[in-house]
Amino acid sequence: MTATQINSTGTRLQGQDLVIENLAAGYGKVQVLWDVSLRVAPGEFVAMIGANGAGKTTTLRAVSGVVKPSAGRITLGGRDITRAAPSQIVGLGLGHVPEGRELFPLMTVRENLELGAAMRPEARAVQAQTLAHVYELFPRLSERAGQLAGTLSGGEQQMVAVGRALMGRPSVLVVDEPSLGLSPLMTQTVFGALRAVNEQGVTVLLVEQNVGLSLRLAHRAYVLENGQVVKEGSGTELLADPAVREAYLAL
Amino acid sequence: MSRAMDGGRAVVRRPDVPLRALLPLGLFFLLALVFPFLPLGERSEYLLQIAFFTLVAGVLALSWDILARSGQVSLAHAAFYGLGAYGFALLGKVMPWFLAMPAAALIAGLISLILGAVTMRLSGMYFAIATLAFTEVVRTIIQNLPEATAGGANGLLVPALLGGNARAQYFLAFGILLFTALVSLAIRRSRLHHAFAAIRQGEETARVLGVSVVKYKLLAFFISSFLAALGGVLYAGKTFFINPLETFSLANSIAPLTTSIFGGLYTTLGPILGATVLRVAEEILHNSIKNGYLVVYGLVLMLSILWLPRGLMGLLRRGKHGGDV
Repeated sequence: MTATQINSTGTRLQGQDLVIENLAAGYGKVQVLWDVSLRVAPGEFVAMIGANGAGKTTTLRAVSGVVKPSAGRITLGGRDITRAAPSQIVGLGLGHVPEGRELFPLMTVRENLELGAAMRPEARAVQAQTLAHVYELFPRLSERAGQLAGTLSGGEQQMVAVGRALMGRPSVLVVDEPSLGLSPLMTQTVFGALRAVNEQGVTVLLVEQNVGLSLRLAHRAYVLENGQVVKEGSGTELLADPAVREAYLAL
Repeated sequence: MSRAMDGGRAVVRRPDVPLRALLPLGLFFLLALVFPFLPLGERSEYLLQIAFFTLVAGVLALSWDILARSGQVSLAHAAFYGLGAYGFALLGKVMPWFLAMPAAALIAGLISLILGAVTMRLSGMYFAIATLAFTEVVRTIIQNLPEATAGGANGLLVPALLGGNARAQYFLAFGILLFTALVSLAIRRSRLHHAFAAIRQGEETARVLGVSVVKYKLLAFFISSFLAALGGVLYAGKTFFINPLETFSLANSIAPLTTSIFGGLYTTLGPILGATVLRVAEEILHNSIKNGYLVVYGLVLMLSILWLPRGLMGLLRRGKHGGDV
């Protein structure tokens, strides 16, 4: 699985940048995000870490258009998507791996994957190649292609969730808490796949509670606290930061 | 996988509907086509009438199933069936039947968009109750229209379809069911299939996958109601007398639901097969057990739902999973 292999089939994924400026959002009267600004360069791998309730998932949901921001601006590849509908945002190249995987349990693995490509004509046109690519990334899924997604293990389900997002041929992939409920070994597998996807050119924004692993994996990271970005830096910088070590790594 | 390696050319892969799976459906339509030419003996008129209403039941069930595929389990099917019947009765007076028929269906389809918009945020039981209430509202409105136009509670005479020629009417019903089946198959092969399946299983996830939930839910309503109304046209044109109580009866909303479940949800053949088996069974039971045939009918339904959770289609595709979900 190398980038050149993918180049030869002409299906190399092209990263775009994702910029969030002074984002505020919430649910009804409850404001969750107060002032979130972050920037993910094309092809970059950025992690967002923070405690439960810090607003990580809400930030991703705002990017996807599921939550409407009350202030601020989000751009994808230079285009303003702050008020766009989720379907338009997917059309512009965003892939979302939702928290808790959210597969369709009564559909087969393959049907779940196909669904990821169904809503983007350009993704549908190259669906077969992308499917082969996903199977290369997660060989386990090709063995399980005809099995109902609800019968898979947690790790396999996470693979399907990542694969389903990739089927839409995203230029930017946002991934919400992929390690949730996974064994350390399975977490490694899924994170390895995310790195591979990133190395193929896809921009990745990862939200994680497994702070140690995500800081080692990401080029840069942001620390979110109470709906605000309180720190940013390279993965190694933050790993060495005493405050981060104490708060998130319990060291 | 072999197709995936197709030299890197763009290959549009459609959801698999192998020809083999279409064989039983083709067989059904072939049988239905030759049915009127069979030597049916002296009871042929009666048998042809049962066959006609079996086709109508098939239209109703399959059109309901199309809506159910988008996760909208509706109890408003009688409303659109009835709107088709009444629309045809009224329009049939001022235009030829072949125009009145699609016009009535179009009106029902457009009215369904109102219901679809109102119930957009409802799901499960709340959705079902709202659709049930809608049927009552439509019935009440029709019943209270000026008697000179819509006949009020007493009902309305309808111009007989095709001059009352039973065989011609049968072939018209055959054509409508075939059309409904082709629409269903076209949906199966298009992106609608994926959009509906995603919405049904999780609206929120469907949205982040790029499905325009509002658009596809309304589209499901329109298609389903348009087809149901065609069924209503057939009913009205065949019985040439309709009244609000019977036309908008709850039974007309429940029957497509039970028929689809019995035959096999989210499939094209299932609801058609279900309609055929249930109509024939109902008729046989009705003729053999004069009193209480409905009790036996109900028992058959209950037991089959218990033992055949995937309906008759589960028998046809034993051991295979997921193919039609």
